[in-house]
Amino acid sequence: MSGKEFFVNRYRQLGWKFENVEPKQAVRINVSNAKGKNLVERLRALGVQLERVPFLETGYWVCSSKVSVGATAEYLLGLYSIQEAAAQIPATLFTALRDKTVLDACAAPGGKTVQLADLMGNTGAIVALDVKKQRLNALANHLERCHVSNAVVYHLDARQASRLNLKFDRILLDAPCSGNFAADNAWFKRRTLQDVERNAQLQRELLTETTTCLSDYGEIIYSTCSLEPEENEVNMDWAVKHLNLQIEEVDCYGQKGLTEVLGKRLDASVERCRRIWPAETQGFFVCKLKKRVNKQ
Amino acid sequence: MKVLRDFAVKLGAEFSLNADLVVEKADRYFLLNKRLQSISHWDFYYAGTYLGKVKKGTFFPSFNLLAMLAKGKANKIVVDRKAAWLFICGRDVFRRSILTMHGLRRKGDYALVMNEFGECLGFGKILCSLDADVKGVEVVVKNISDVGDFLRREI
Repeated sequence: MSGKEFFVNRYRQLGWKFENVEPKQAVRINVSNAKGKNLVERLRALGVQLERVPFLETGYWVCSSKVSVGATAEYLLGLYSIQEAAAQIPATLFTALRDKTVLDACAAPGGKTVQLADLMGNTGAIVALDVKKQRLNALANHLERCHVSNAVVYHLDARQASRLNLKFDRILLDAPCSGNFAADNAWFKRRTLQDVERNAQLQRELLTETTTCLSDYGEIIYSTCSLEPEENEVNMDWAVKHLNLQIEEVDCYGQKGLTEVLGKRLDASVERCRRIWPAETQGFFVCKLKKRVNKQ
Repeated sequence: MKVLRDFAVKLGAEFSLNADLVVEKADRYFLLNKRLQSISHWDFYYAGTYLGKVKKGTFFPSFNLLAMLAKGKANKIVVDRKAAWLFICGRDVFRRSILTMHGLRRKGDYALVMNEFGECLGFGKILCSLDADVKGVEVVVKNISDVGDFLRREI
């Protein structure tokens, strides 16, 4: 069960007509570093035309550029980061990040870690984990470039996060996933349904472990850049039924989560998730979870 | 801490850090805040503000440390836009590119190289007195380290 026809047919059954898309390049301003620096004007003077992404506060599309946006002095000084527009959404869905203790469970290469630090104004603490040691260098470089001062990075599989003996107020679980065709030209050739199911299992293990590290009134943001329901709505349905979590409403770009998936009916609250089919952005999925509060 | 202080002296900078919050790990130095210190009980890979590393007896400052030093009194030269770009491409600084200077200008001293926006791009070694107009000498600050290093690290 693989190939373009197989997956495109699945998307049709999920209610989306396949079309080839090329997501726009996007950047995110690091407010802590760029405050008062008139960055958009400075980049315009270099020949970089930006347009505000309507659903993001600090995100901009790169409409055209005479220079590489990854090689300007402004980039090297950490005034902005290159970050896909949909990928900028998850960190913005947390409430009240300042002074919190935050877990970034699968952090490398660090785009969202830097964004969290920016939203926290470098207060509180971020514990950033990644299982792949070779990716930690990119993460460390990213933190240094953007002058992040409130993060600690460990080489640790998030499935062992409880070894840290910490409780977190906020957990970002941007889970390893199958990705999507809009971000990978060879996606249809490389991916099979078996990959999807294997990733979905890994994601459940990550959800299970990170939930044990969540403080009672904490929040988890779960996200993937996969379009496959097994890694998204089906996993959220599983989390509601097995991890004593509840799905919270979010106000962000994207369509409601699917509650009927390939003949299976899911918990009605899965509708509160957000699914982003590829268009101006890549494909994406995001969901906000909290521990279920027993009402007595 | 001594390597950090010695480096700051070479830049004519005033430098004070709470030594209790500076952590040395495998010849790399990090400045933690109290919150991080309380939770960094594991063998971390990176923490807080990276200050620099010692390699073969030489201290290599981080760009975070340079930016911290640039906020206070230190040897600084402010260069024009073109020289700023060339500097982050690894090039040295020409006398004619310098807009303003602060602090010591003696041969052999280190100086932070700043752009017109007051941002620290790196540092270099002063090759000849910046006060003296020595004929025939064009390059006056040799590039030692610049933020273009973030790109070069990826190669």
